[in-house]
Amino acid sequence: MTAFYDGLADILEVPSATIASNLSLTDHNWDSLAIISCIALMDECFGILVSGSDLAKCTVVADLEALAPQTVSA
Amino acid sequence: MPGYTLAGIGLRGVVSALPARRVNNAELAERFGAKALADITALTGVETRFYAAPGETAGDLCLVAAKRVLANLGWVPASVDALIFVSQTPDQRLPATACTLHAALGFSPSCQAFDVSLGCSGYVYGLWIGAALVNAGCRRVLLLAGDTSSRMVDAADRSTALLFGDAGSATAIEADPSAAPAHFVLGSDGSGAAHIAMAGGGFRDPSGVETLTMDGGEVFGFTLRAVPQLIRSVLERGRHDVCDVDIFALHQANRFMLRHITKKLGITPAQAPINIDRFGNTSSASIPLLLCTDCSAQLTQAPQRLMLAGFGVGFSWAAASFDLPRLTCAELIH
Repeated sequence: MTAFYDGLADILEVPSATIASNLSLTDHNWDSLAIISCIALMDECFGILVSGSDLAKCTVVADLEALAPQTVSA
Repeated sequence: MPGYTLAGIGLRGVVSALPARRVNNAELAERFGAKALADITALTGVETRFYAAPGETAGDLCLVAAKRVLANLGWVPASVDALIFVSQTPDQRLPATACTLHAALGFSPSCQAFDVSLGCSGYVYGLWIGAALVNAGCRRVLLLAGDTSSRMVDAADRSTALLFGDAGSATAIEADPSAAPAHFVLGSDGSGAAHIAMAGGGFRDPSGVETLTMDGGEVFGFTLRAVPQLIRSVLERGRHDVCDVDIFALHQANRFMLRHITKKLGITPAQAPINIDRFGNTSSASIPLLLCTDCSAQLTQAPQRLMLAGFGVGFSWAAASFDLPRLTCAELIH
C-alpha cells in the first residue's frame, strides 16, 4: 500500500504525506497522462487492470482505493 | 491463445527509410507549452520524429527501402512472387498502393500485389501472410510496411501530435527448407475499435473530419491485457523461456508502456531495445525500423532468436518468433 501511495504522490506531483482518502484528484493534474500512469501503478502494486474510463470517473483518492478494496484495506 | 507454426520461412534482410525532415521537441514547445511537453515526453519518450514532405507518401518511403533490399540481396524483379503493402496511410484510395509499387519495381505480371490495412500490428500480420504465401508455394515475398501518420494527427492534439513519426520499410521473405519453424499468434478485439480511430473520409462519413483520435487510457489498458499474454503464448508455442530470446522487437508505441510490459514479463532492457526517442511511433514501420537501427548489428553479425510483437489500432495484435541465421542486411536509409 505504501508503494501505491508513493507512486500516486509521484503521479499527482504532491508529497507522499499529503496522500489521503479525501485528497482531490481533479485538483492535482488528474489528466490522461496521470490516468495512464495510474493504470500501470495499480497493475504493479495490486496486479489488477483497471480501465481508463473507470479511472477517469474517480475524483478523490478514496475512489481509487475502492477499485482495489481488498488490497488497500488490508 | 491458439496460433500457427510454419516451417521453411527464411527472412533474408530488412531495410527502412526515413523522410528527410527531422522534427525535435523544441519546435513543438511553443504550441504545447514547456510543462505539457515535458510531461508528455516523460511518458512517451519521444524526443524527435521524422515527417514526410508534402506529397511524399508511405509508398514512396517503402519504394526506397524496397529498391535497396532487392539490390542488397541481388534479387531480380522477376524473382519476386508476391508484394504485400501494409499501411493505414495508402498513397491513394484506388488502386491498391501495392499495385503502383509493383509497377515502380518492375515486378512480373505473375507477382501478386495487394494492400493490408493494419497499423501497429501490421508488420507481424504481414510476416504471417508472407509466411503463409511461402507455404502456399511462393518462393520470394517482399513485405513493405510504412505509414505517414503525421498526416493524420490533429496538430493541436497533444496526445497524438507529439507521438507519431513517419517511416517505410521493406522485408525480404524467401522459401528456405532449412529454416527453423516460425511461431505466430494473432488476434483482434473489434470492441475496442473506437479507441484509436479516424472515422471520417471513408464511405460511411465521407465528409467527416479526417484526424486521428486516441483514448490513451483505453489503449494502455488494452495493451496491458493483451500483450503480456500474447508474448507468453508465442514463447509457449516455441517452448522457449524469456531468457532464451535474444531480441524482443516490440512495436514502439510509448516508452512508458514498453518499460512496464517488459518489466512485467521479466525481459531485460538489453533484450528489448527502445528507439521511440529518436523516431516516435511509426505505426506499421516501427518494428522493422527497430530491426534496422538498434538491432542491426546483432542481426547482421550472428544468428538470433527474434521475437516480434505488434499491437494497437483495431484493437489488433500479433507476435512471432524466428530463429534467424545472420541477415544479409538490416539497414536504415536517411
